[in-house]
Amino acid sequence: MTRIRILALVFVCAATILPGCRRMAQESVEYKDAIAPPEEPLVRQVATAGRHGGRFVLGVTVNPKMFNGLMANETSSRDITRLLDTTLVRYDNAAQEFVPELAKSWEVAPDGITWTFHLRRGAAFSDGHPITAEDVLFSFQIAYDKVLHPAIQDLLQVGGESFKVSAPDPYTVVINTLKPNSALLDTLCQGGLSIVPKHVLEAAYKSGGFASAYNVATPPEKIVSGGPFRLVQYVPGEKTVLGRNPHYYGFDQHKQRLPYLNEIVFLIVPDQDAADLKFRSGELDGLDNIKPENYRWYEENQQKGDFTLHDLGPEFSSRFFWFNLNRVQPPVRGEKPVAGKKVGEPFIDPVKYAWFSNTTFRRAVSMAIDRDAMISSVFFGEGEKSWSQIARTNKEWHNPDLVHDDYNPAESKRLLASIGLIDRNGDGVVEDPRGNPVTFTLKTNADNTMRVATANFVKDDLAKIGIRVLLTPVDFNTLITNLRSDFQYEAMLLGLQSGVPPSPANGQNVWRSSGETHVWFARQQKPATPEEARIDRLMDEILTNQDRAEQKRAWKDLQTIMSEQSWLIYLPILKIKVPVSNRFGNVDPSIMAHRILWNAERLFVKRRDS
Amino acid sequence: MRTYVLRRLLQTIPLLVGISLITFLLLQLAPGDFLNQMAENPGISAETIEAMRVRFGLDKPWYVQYAIYLRNVVFHFDFGQSFARHQPVFEVLSDGFVNTLILAGAAAFITWVLAIPLGVVAAVRQHSWIDRALSFLAFVWLSVPEILAALLLLMMAARTGWFPVGGMRSLDYDELDGISQFFDILHHLALPALVVGLIPLASRMRQMRGSLLDVLRLDYVTTARAKGLSERTVIVKHALRNALNPMITLFGYTLGALVSGSFIVEIIFSWPGLGRITLDAILTQDQYLVMGAVLMASLVLIIGNLIADLLLAIADPRISYD
Repeated sequence: MTRIRILALVFVCAATILPGCRRMAQESVEYKDAIAPPEEPLVRQVATAGRHGGRFVLGVTVNPKMFNGLMANETSSRDITRLLDTTLVRYDNAAQEFVPELAKSWEVAPDGITWTFHLRRGAAFSDGHPITAEDVLFSFQIAYDKVLHPAIQDLLQVGGESFKVSAPDPYTVVINTLKPNSALLDTLCQGGLSIVPKHVLEAAYKSGGFASAYNVATPPEKIVSGGPFRLVQYVPGEKTVLGRNPHYYGFDQHKQRLPYLNEIVFLIVPDQDAADLKFRSGELDGLDNIKPENYRWYEENQQKGDFTLHDLGPEFSSRFFWFNLNRVQPPVRGEKPVAGKKVGEPFIDPVKYAWFSNTTFRRAVSMAIDRDAMISSVFFGEGEKSWSQIARTNKEWHNPDLVHDDYNPAESKRLLASIGLIDRNGDGVVEDPRGNPVTFTLKTNADNTMRVATANFVKDDLAKIGIRVLLTPVDFNTLITNLRSDFQYEAMLLGLQSGVPPSPANGQNVWRSSGETHVWFARQQKPATPEEARIDRLMDEILTNQDRAEQKRAWKDLQTIMSEQSWLIYLPILKIKVPVSNRFGNVDPSIMAHRILWNAERLFVKRRDS
Repeated sequence: MRTYVLRRLLQTIPLLVGISLITFLLLQLAPGDFLNQMAENPGISAETIEAMRVRFGLDKPWYVQYAIYLRNVVFHFDFGQSFARHQPVFEVLSDGFVNTLILAGAAAFITWVLAIPLGVVAAVRQHSWIDRALSFLAFVWLSVPEILAALLLLMMAARTGWFPVGGMRSLDYDELDGISQFFDILHHLALPALVVGLIPLASRMRQMRGSLLDVLRLDYVTTARAKGLSERTVIVKHALRNALNPMITLFGYTLGALVSGSFIVEIIFSWPGLGRITLDAILTQDQYLVMGAVLMASLVLIIGNLIADLLLAIADPRISYD
């Protein structure tokens, strides 16, 4: 009987509270802009003039770790600091070009290395304190700090030497990049160098506490920022609430101050499935990470659920596998020599190295993979073939006519036979002329079901041309150790995210033979092959040549070499679809981060009758 | 009694040191460390990672790291910093601890408030249809895995809209008045507490039933009945008091498992407790946070067991620890 009473009580609570919650979320007090506009406001053209008020609730699966835009290294924090912090310039995800932000304009001198940024007069942080060149210099000072060593440091250097940054007056910043650097703006836009308030953070910096300044326990009112939003509340494990920065210098073309929204809530949910349930029950306004197997449900329920599933095209990342071509190099920087191996020896079995280092072998492997079948099974039909790091959604840098080795099992077998790999004893596995059966292990991280499924597919397809693959999903950390330090693997399947903005310069570490993520043979002391030497030169050209057309030609040449060499064997990538509630205006999701909120300051709640 | 408590408390010290050492060793044996997560990002150079490794002290051998940790705990009561959150471990854990206690407390309340009366009813009406029905339900619930029950209830919540789909508070929580805030948390608490609370219900109910049946067969109960006492008085005043004895011990052990017992359900229902924090910490190898969480759960377990033993001594005069 007691049980019934308790249940009854709970149901009564449910009945009384639920309607209340729903109603309150809709209504909001009209906002009055009481702050005088700055001398030089930023004017953003909006498709539809919005109105102030309302709240957008986005589901996220990971807690932010800090609100310090210069020190944060992972996405969950950066997705938030991107909205809190101001930057010199802004990357417009829709137009895929740079637009003014804190700097109202900029120019580069004919020498190609002196960049002058003109700051907006009257811009202020969320506490009303003006933003000047002082703050920009302070942010650079932190970026260059040797002890803190923020991740951005390496991008603001050339050959280990820092750029020279100076401020001739409070509204001008001059950056001397020492050598021509076409990627400078990439590092100065959102997600790059955050401009932090000197008057708030200098004390923490001087006392050595900058790394833990603006952490998740800092009272929100102490977190002063210059972007469109400011931090209002953070409840661990529950939500992060951002509110309007009343001092933001941005306006729409009708002189209304941006942002329109009162609040953005990052609601923390345990995983994608829980987020899914929450969206379906109407507790979320948008989700930027749904599983492909659920796309169909969303598509079919758009009307009923009053939302739109936006098709953003293929994701901005790549999926590929490669063979380990790492060889022992002379030890540097006090490294220990590799036990039992001489300099120049491969880390893997020399017999296998002989196969893997042969371009024909790698091309044959690529031709064995039936990517269409993979798309229809592993990707639930929601995939697309990709032949480089840059997907077709990247308007500026994608090359549609790249040569590539697609599915062709007959040609694949012919290529294998041409290098002496044929099935000599009729057991279904090809052997090399010395009788070694061609077999290798393929590693990937076990926690990524998509990667494990694609790896399984690769295994089955290669079996059809007589190559036996042993699939070994391992713990992510083990994989990284194998990849970075001990090179104990034969082949590995991984993916790489491309940065925002997606310029090839972001991929330097992958393409350059000396790069850390030049995965098939990392950190080469000098280029191992003539092709890699050429790639290094092309990379220099992309970085230093000021002419966009020349940069693009160099990039195309680089990709062509990569394609011909098949060092990385590309697999299909996923099409991204994101659901967003129809209650909001100016919704224009982008394939690049932050998918839904990249133009957060322009989103608004539509009038109910319209 | 006092010396006994003191001795037990002193025994916890080597125990906790042992637990911390084993945890630390296990963390060291796991491949990689906290910074490995960043290696996949091509934007972060090896130098950056190396600089962070030095800043976090991860470049030192494990025994040095452990010695420093132990020294800070003993002399400064400093449990280290969470790498990911740049925040003292103690701060990170304390929020989660309170939330976990709320959930576990509510669950324990559900278990005991239901288990004792239902057990009594089943014993008094032994072999009746109600006894059979209760055993049947108990065994059905006992055989449903916790995860499945949690997921099913979550789907029910999403479909009907009667309950929120996980979480602990509504978005408007801060704008509500005190009473509505209380009901808001209660509303969110109902489903997870039901799952956690109903799991041990079956066994507790059966134990209560068994224990009462044992007592009901004893001579003094027959005597009480012979005296002409009402059946109600016989059961509530005479039999039940004695039958509760083993239940008190069990209750003490429930206290011990309070903190760690609801981890899985917390994660499924996005309850912002220790479960989520600990899982994240383990997955990212945020080592001092893992240490803190393990030590906290162990301490609660040890104290819970101590309370169980003490409760028994208080309830049963035949037991003495001196």
